[in-house]
Amino acid sequence: MEILINSASCIKNNNVIFDNLNIVLGESDIWLITGPNGCGKTTLMRALCGIQNLESGSILMDKIDIQNPKSRLKEKIIYIGHKNSLIDNLTVKENLEYLCAFDSTVELNNKNIIKEAMIYFDILKYQNYMVSDLSEGNKKKTSLARLFASKKKLWILDEPLNNLDIKSIELFLNLIVSHQKNGGISISSSHYNFLKHKENIKYLEMSN
Amino acid sequence: MISLLLKKELVLYYRNLNNIFLPLIFFFLIISIFPLVLGPEKNLFDKIIPGVIWITAILTTLLTSNNFFKDDFNSGVIDTYLTSEVSIELVLFLRIICCWTFTCLPIIFFVPVVSILFDISFYNSIIILTTLIIGTPTLICAAIFGSALTLGLSKNNMLLPVIIIPFYIPVLIFSASAIESVTSGLPYEMQIYLLLAFLVFVLPIMPYLLKYTLRISINN
Repeated sequence: MEILINSASCIKNNNVIFDNLNIVLGESDIWLITGPNGCGKTTLMRALCGIQNLESGSILMDKIDIQNPKSRLKEKIIYIGHKNSLIDNLTVKENLEYLCAFDSTVELNNKNIIKEAMIYFDILKYQNYMVSDLSEGNKKKTSLARLFASKKKLWILDEPLNNLDIKSIELFLNLIVSHQKNGGISISSSHYNFLKHKENIKYLEMSN
Repeated sequence: MISLLLKKELVLYYRNLNNIFLPLIFFFLIISIFPLVLGPEKNLFDKIIPGVIWITAILTTLLTSNNFFKDDFNSGVIDTYLTSEVSIELVLFLRIICCWTFTCLPIIFFVPVVSILFDISFYNSIIILTTLIIGTPTLICAAIFGSALTLGLSKNNMLLPVIIIPFYIPVLIFSASAIESVTSGLPYEMQIYLLLAFLVFVLPIMPYLLKYTLRISINN
């Protein structure tokens, strides 16, 4: 799988968010998008998911435009935005079941996979807590636990480290490294470089 | 998959029973305001009460579906919908059905009570019930469409009724006309069939329409 961002530019409310961006994302890449607040990291990620229209240029996946249903983009991506996609009035377990229902690579018959995901991120003890009662860090862990259960190729993670403690950051990093070993691509954004001590990382530095 | 989605909707309504009972109480309160304002004249009420029931049903649908997508939008669930390969149309369809079942159906069950209160004849109350059962799903669809359309705008609560009420007018015309025909002993089947036709037209296309509207709304 190869993703080609081809002289893409995006304009929102008459502001140029990014202009003439060219990137190639290949198999087993870990990308880190860094830059100051408001430089367009989120917009770029949403464009990669196909939920943000570009002003000009295109994003191609295996030479097919991602807006084209033939590209089957949605079968390959998992997008976790800085909003957690969690429903306040459901418990952690119910939320994970609901989120995984939107992911055909998760075998829902295999009840253990969700439990394993909760054990991995150490949130099993909260499984019957309402999401509204959790701390922000635990909410983030709940939404990241999806990644453990999913077998999708392309992870698009917007500010995945927000509110996480050091131990959970380490768990998350192990997760994206093992994803890389399986040939997956992950794209994360952050305002600082949390992958300093890792090798084979590709960086995209955005500026205002 | 479908059972999981339905289970989630039921659990959410069960945990927030206010969403079921408050529309019902609101409906009853608005209905009971009319005699207070207009005075207890039997002839007048025989004439206006079907209309009153319909107007109240409209207000209730508007209020209940105003925030249909708001929480999901703020929490990012809409993003998950639109980046998933699962048929979002199916999800939206189930949610529309659940919304109708839990906000309109209780009101419809309540209409016989209102009929007794206002001394409406049995035959008339049956026809009011029929028009409500066929008409309110169309209204709910329109209101949900409006809430998807106004999703990107944060402070425009009054915009939704302004957009949506014109779409209500055809349903209202034909249901009022059906009730009118029954009271004056004329045939009423044609209006009922037309209401059914609206429903059969709107309900299947609504999930597709909603999907595209949501895409546009979150693009901004």
